[in-house]
Amino acid sequence: MALPLPPGLTPPEIAFLCEMELVTIIPRQRLEGLKLLGGPTPPLTPPHRTNLPLWLALLLKRQKRANIAPPPWLSPSSLGEILDLETGLSTFSPPPNLSFKPLSSTSTSTPTPISPPFTPSSTASAPSDALPYHWLELGEILLEAAADDFDDPDAVRRLLRDLRDARMAKVRAMVEKLEAGGGVRIAGVGGMEVAEGRAFLGGVVDGLRKIEARREKEEDGGGSGDDDMDDL
Amino acid sequence: MDIDDILADVSHDATPTETRELQELTRAWVAERVAPEILPYPERLMENVLERIRKQIELVEEQTGNMDPKANFRLIILQTELERFKFLVRSFLRARIAKIDKFPIHHLTDTSTISRLSASETQYLRAHHVLLSNHYQSSFLSQFPTALQRLDDTIGGISMIDAPDLDTAVFCRILRDLGKMLIEGKDREHHRELDLKRGEIFIVRWSSIKESVFAGDIELV
Repeated sequence: MALPLPPGLTPPEIAFLCEMELVTIIPRQRLEGLKLLGGPTPPLTPPHRTNLPLWLALLLKRQKRANIAPPPWLSPSSLGEILDLETGLSTFSPPPNLSFKPLSSTSTSTPTPISPPFTPSSTASAPSDALPYHWLELGEILLEAAADDFDDPDAVRRLLRDLRDARMAKVRAMVEKLEAGGGVRIAGVGGMEVAEGRAFLGGVVDGLRKIEARREKEEDGGGSGDDDMDDL
Repeated sequence: MDIDDILADVSHDATPTETRELQELTRAWVAERVAPEILPYPERLMENVLERIRKQIELVEEQTGNMDPKANFRLIILQTELERFKFLVRSFLRARIAKIDKFPIHHLTDTSTISRLSASETQYLRAHHVLLSNHYQSSFLSQFPTALQRLDDTIGGISMIDAPDLDTAVFCRILRDLGKMLIEGKDREHHRELDLKRGEIFIVRWSSIKESVFAGDIELV
């Protein structure tokens, strides 16, 4: 009954989250609006573009009832520019500055702010110059299910792979910045990168903390810490 | 205020309750899957979501007999979404049960933790713990010397009670500007300040941000 998984989301769970992202579709068939559990969907009338959650867009695509318009950042020219930026930076390229409007720190009265996957960062009107949180998952899913909706799917696939390599190297290089107290800023990181880096990076921070704690204990207790070995 | 702010404002206020609840449930699920300790049970949210799932199941059952191909496709969409919701709820509850099972005595003795469980979770925790301790007692503990029979011994500076490690490193996203936070280094010179700006992602100790997560100012990723 209990979930046999360790803490942290698994890649399939990240993909599940990613399927809640809004994407833009071009319907080929009419479909009246539906009252779904996650809110109503707009009626579909060809050829008017509509934003739908990715899971529904994929269902329509598979049944050839709609085409998916890839988000602007998922084009060879945008990805090329982001890749140039990415290779020149030691940090991740900055995330899209979308709907992250400044809010005061008072948690009363203001409604809970939305965050990915519910920010419209992958619709046709999304910014083209930055990778959203679920960039890798969304790119892979769209290339898999809707390759014919891309102008040049192979170029996109190649650029995604290059971006991924460049960014994974940064995840690994981040180890040197880690400290026992944590508190590392990783702006612009993606969902799948968090999932992949969690065990490693989290493990390093936790390990450093335990070493530190033991060192302090030894200094306090004058080095009489033989049975502290168990704590490590 | 630029155009993005205005757009965000509009879309924000227009968000239907259903969508809002999906967002809350998703956030609660991710947090529960990531956090080292059990989080407060979102009673009102779960009541609403379960009630709506129940109604949707009834609707699907009523319409299943309809052979019209158009209605049939609508039904497929409804069912697909239903399954996604059921997965979210199930995975959320199972992640909680995993934590309850892992630290039973800690949950029973720590009053602030036990208040985070729902009524049925508390009932499960107690019943399961009684069963398990009776089983241990009858199968082997009763043959030990009396001094060694306890399962919650704290003598000798080492506690037998397993508790979650609240200093575990977690990944989190800042939802509201929170100003500066102090990160302790190994001595005063190594103390650092973090600027908690909306939208940023950090690796921090769970214990240092836990209150902000409960307040909804930070979410786990």
